[in-house]
Amino acid sequence: MKVWITLCLLALLSGCVSLNSVSMTQVPAQRSNQVTTSADHWSLLGIAFSNDFVDEAMTGLQQQCQGGKLEGVYTKYQNTLYLLILQREVIVSGYCNRS
Amino acid sequence: MTSRNSKPAAPLRWTLILLAAGSVGCARLDQMQMGSLDQSQGKLTPVSFSVNELGLDMAGGAEIARQLTKGQASQNAQAVRDILALINMGPRTGNPVFDDSYSDQLLASIQQQCPSGQLTGLRSIREGIAYGPVSGEVVRVDGYCINSAE
Repeated sequence: MKVWITLCLLALLSGCVSLNSVSMTQVPAQRSNQVTTSADHWSLLGIAFSNDFVDEAMTGLQQQCQGGKLEGVYTKYQNTLYLLILQREVIVSGYCNRS
Repeated sequence: MTSRNSKPAAPLRWTLILLAAGSVGCARLDQMQMGSLDQSQGKLTPVSFSVNELGLDMAGGAEIARQLTKGQASQNAQAVRDILALINMGPRTGNPVFDDSYSDQLLASIQQQCPSGQLTGLRSIREGIAYGPVSGEVVRVDGYCINSAE
């Protein structure tokens, strides 16, 4: 019985991920400096009142590529459900070139 | 004889609770995309534009009508709900809208905010705000205008 309870708890706590959207822009030839950032929002039962966390991802990228050109931007938006808690997450990566 | 301080009747109380819950919009994020960002050409000025269209979950509305009615009226509402659900069956993003071209003027509108015409760091966001069966289906584009003269 304890084994089953432990297995159920592990399954519930591990989280189920769903991938909502993926996009990519043109990739530069020079790909030596990769920058990555992410922003997330946690909510109970998926009830949220704004999507402002998305803007944090862009701010993070901007700060990592000051005065440069960011290309090959890969954007991923995914949801992870931990029982009753939903994590909405935006993960962005790209290549920063300063010429 | 009724008391002046008596509590509202149960159906009224539930209606008030539902109205209060429905008036708080729930935000939904469907899709987002980020474009390339050029910070090497000059100072960046944020630009933003969004369009909003009324979305209606008619099957959801019929379900509410079914819950609020009794007897034959409830059965009729259930039949309407099932028919509407079948009509709107299939994959979709958000609630159905009555005009699918509401986002077509986005580019022209955002270009008006950028006299230099040089846009960078564009973020296309598809989101919605739901108030029960009614929702605002939003398409938003944020970005930066490059002010090369500065």
